[in-house]
Amino acid sequence: MKQQSNAWVMVKIVLLILGATAMYTHIGQLVPQKEVLAPTVVEIDENATPEELVDIGKSISEGKGLCLTCHTIGKTGPGLRFPDLGGIATRAATRIEGMDALTYLADSIYHPDDFIVDGFVKGMPAINKPPIGLTQDEMISVLAYLQSLGGTPTVTLELTPADLGVE
Amino acid sequence: MKPNKLILAVLAVLLIVIVVAGIRATNWFVESQEFRAPQRAAIEAPADTTPRDQGLADEHAAELESNKTLEYEPRAYRQIGGVSSRVIVWVLAQLHLLFAAFVLAVPMFALIIEFIGYKTGDSRYDKLAYEFTKLLSVSFSMTATFGAFLLFMLVLLYPQFMQYLMHVFSPTFLPYVALFFLEAAFLYSYYYGWGKFSPRVHLFLGLMLNVVGTGIMLIANAWLTFMTSPAGVSESGAVFSTWEAINNFTWMPINIHRIIANVAFGGSIAGAYAAFKFLTARTDEERAHYDWMGYIGQFVAISAFLPLPFAGYWLASEIYAFSQTLGLQMMGGAFSWLFIIQAALIGNLFLAANYYLWLGMGRVEGTTHYQKFIKYLLIAIALCFAIWATPRSIISTVSEIRAMGGSAHPMLGYLGVMSAKNTAVNILILSTFMSFLLYRRTGKRATNPMAGVLNTMQFTIFALSAAVVIFFGIYGYFVEAAVRIKFSIPQVGAVLLAMVLITIIDVFLFRKAETTSKMNWGKINPISQYVLIFIAFSFTWLMGLMGYVRAGLRQHWHVFGVIRDTSVDAFTPSLGFATKVVSVTVLIFFGLIGVVFWLASLSGRPNWQPNRKKAALS
Repeated sequence: MKQQSNAWVMVKIVLLILGATAMYTHIGQLVPQKEVLAPTVVEIDENATPEELVDIGKSISEGKGLCLTCHTIGKTGPGLRFPDLGGIATRAATRIEGMDALTYLADSIYHPDDFIVDGFVKGMPAINKPPIGLTQDEMISVLAYLQSLGGTPTVTLELTPADLGVE
Repeated sequence: MKPNKLILAVLAVLLIVIVVAGIRATNWFVESQEFRAPQRAAIEAPADTTPRDQGLADEHAAELESNKTLEYEPRAYRQIGGVSSRVIVWVLAQLHLLFAAFVLAVPMFALIIEFIGYKTGDSRYDKLAYEFTKLLSVSFSMTATFGAFLLFMLVLLYPQFMQYLMHVFSPTFLPYVALFFLEAAFLYSYYYGWGKFSPRVHLFLGLMLNVVGTGIMLIANAWLTFMTSPAGVSESGAVFSTWEAINNFTWMPINIHRIIANVAFGGSIAGAYAAFKFLTARTDEERAHYDWMGYIGQFVAISAFLPLPFAGYWLASEIYAFSQTLGLQMMGGAFSWLFIIQAALIGNLFLAANYYLWLGMGRVEGTTHYQKFIKYLLIAIALCFAIWATPRSIISTVSEIRAMGGSAHPMLGYLGVMSAKNTAVNILILSTFMSFLLYRRTGKRATNPMAGVLNTMQFTIFALSAAVVIFFGIYGYFVEAAVRIKFSIPQVGAVLLAMVLITIIDVFLFRKAETTSKMNWGKINPISQYVLIFIAFSFTWLMGLMGYVRAGLRQHWHVFGVIRDTSVDAFTPSLGFATKVVSVTVLIFFGLIGVVFWLASLSGRPNWQPNRKKAALS
């Protein structure tokens, strides 16, 4: 085998390392770049109507509430990770005998382990506690959004957890 | 003697610089001493007629008095200049962990190799184990130095948070220090006592070095896993059980994952050392030795690497069990694309490891019989690589989510689910295992009378295992989540069982096998050595990347869900930024490990002698 000088070998090793560094760093730049900021409390007007709360709740569900990381809207099939939320307000009224849709929805987001839909497993965190930690107003907004999926939003910010039966 | 023109030119330039600097300095001094008339406002003199000295004394006294009443305000965070505290701690922690991983891993396989040498009486193994151990001494110092540096920076930059960690883990500090002293004692007695003790005593020292090293790792792992999956504390962070804080959800999975990953990493770095020595070797004997050492290092690395994904899945499942939010952030949220980068790295590692094995077949003449299978293995590996690199949930804009009807792509999203990924990684592992089996067979012919039957059995087991993996992979799409999540167990079980059974059969099959061609250590394409260095680099980079996700997963929490990060760094940086930090860290590490290699190789050099050049000339 032809002997190469140590200097030339070192140059090749350094080039290999720099090349590999450049390749992996470049791959890192190819993927979507996003800085995730720490969530802040959403300021909600205390006189907001249910319709206005729906928009705020939708934004929270897609953002700091992390709802759509697991849930889908309008999808069917066995590949779902967690129950689809399309038409949830209609189904909620029929899930537990004697329980109205709002109480069922409220219980499901304050105490997610109370009712597990057949075919799915436990796992949803209580979103009013850390690490997600939505405020009471934000929870009401999410409820308004859920009511809008197959129903009519009725909730207002005056409602307390006691009113919702989820203390 | 005639003066050198170059020296004269340099001196002339130097003189000009000195003269110019002197003129500038003189000018500055003169201007600073020049009298300037005070600028006086056209108003009456101030009412305060206190003499200047008295005024200064009064001011000083007032300042002293004011200092006495200063209120103590504890600082939550500090910064050094404009540098991000998080990046400082990130780089130092990673460098400390890389050296620590190496120092913990090398004694494990050095001890096993030494034991093989002791049992077989083959001194080559003893020499090899010593060669591995030579790398430890300086690396241990590096580990300790970076550990101390990291601790000082943590206390300096995150005082309040460190106070909290001390509140939780103070009972573990003294055992940690005691173990550290013991490790130093066992490491140096193991290294410097090589050949000075009876083999049994020396093996015992090596064993204790491993036990103590593992103990240190277990304690340190408790601190960092607590930050991700806290236990034993109330919602406000008050401790009610230190043991629960230690034995949190991710502690044991991280322990196992780290031990395996450390061995894989240590083997690859030792392999890179052997590659470096091979490429700079002057004799065939040296090349043969370092080729063999590189092969052993690589064998250790890949043997540990194959079960690593299983340990990784266990860790991931424990993270999900602790918090779905955390698990989904990891695999489906902000970090989902990080696993695409990881897939690129692991795909490269598998390809490089297989390539090294295929090149290794060149050490033996007449291996074309096995080389024809390589193209099929390459196709399987490339396909699995592509599937593994396909994401499920992606970071999308709201309009993109609306268009897709969710956060997953309508078609490719199916390849991003665990059913597809589990299948891909298991087939990838099986393919690499087959590469190793083919390599092992080169230059041998089985003389076992049942060779045909045993070969068929091996092929059948392999095919059955692949069929089980693929069946559960496809079936997973047609069942509910609660059922699907359990399919990884038969998939992993089938692969592990196949690897064990095929290995056992192979040992029987090739016992007393006829050697058709001699293994020519050192007779290998030099590209193979650069492949070893590439593998070591990729392992290191992979460790850096996974270190980032493990810590970054907490996002804006110091302790997830308990102690919130309120510093200016309380955001998750982009993956592009993270990969730059990882690259810089890995480059620093490789610069330092180069120093370790150089220092380790000094011991084999002849002693310095005065006038050696003259002696050589005469």
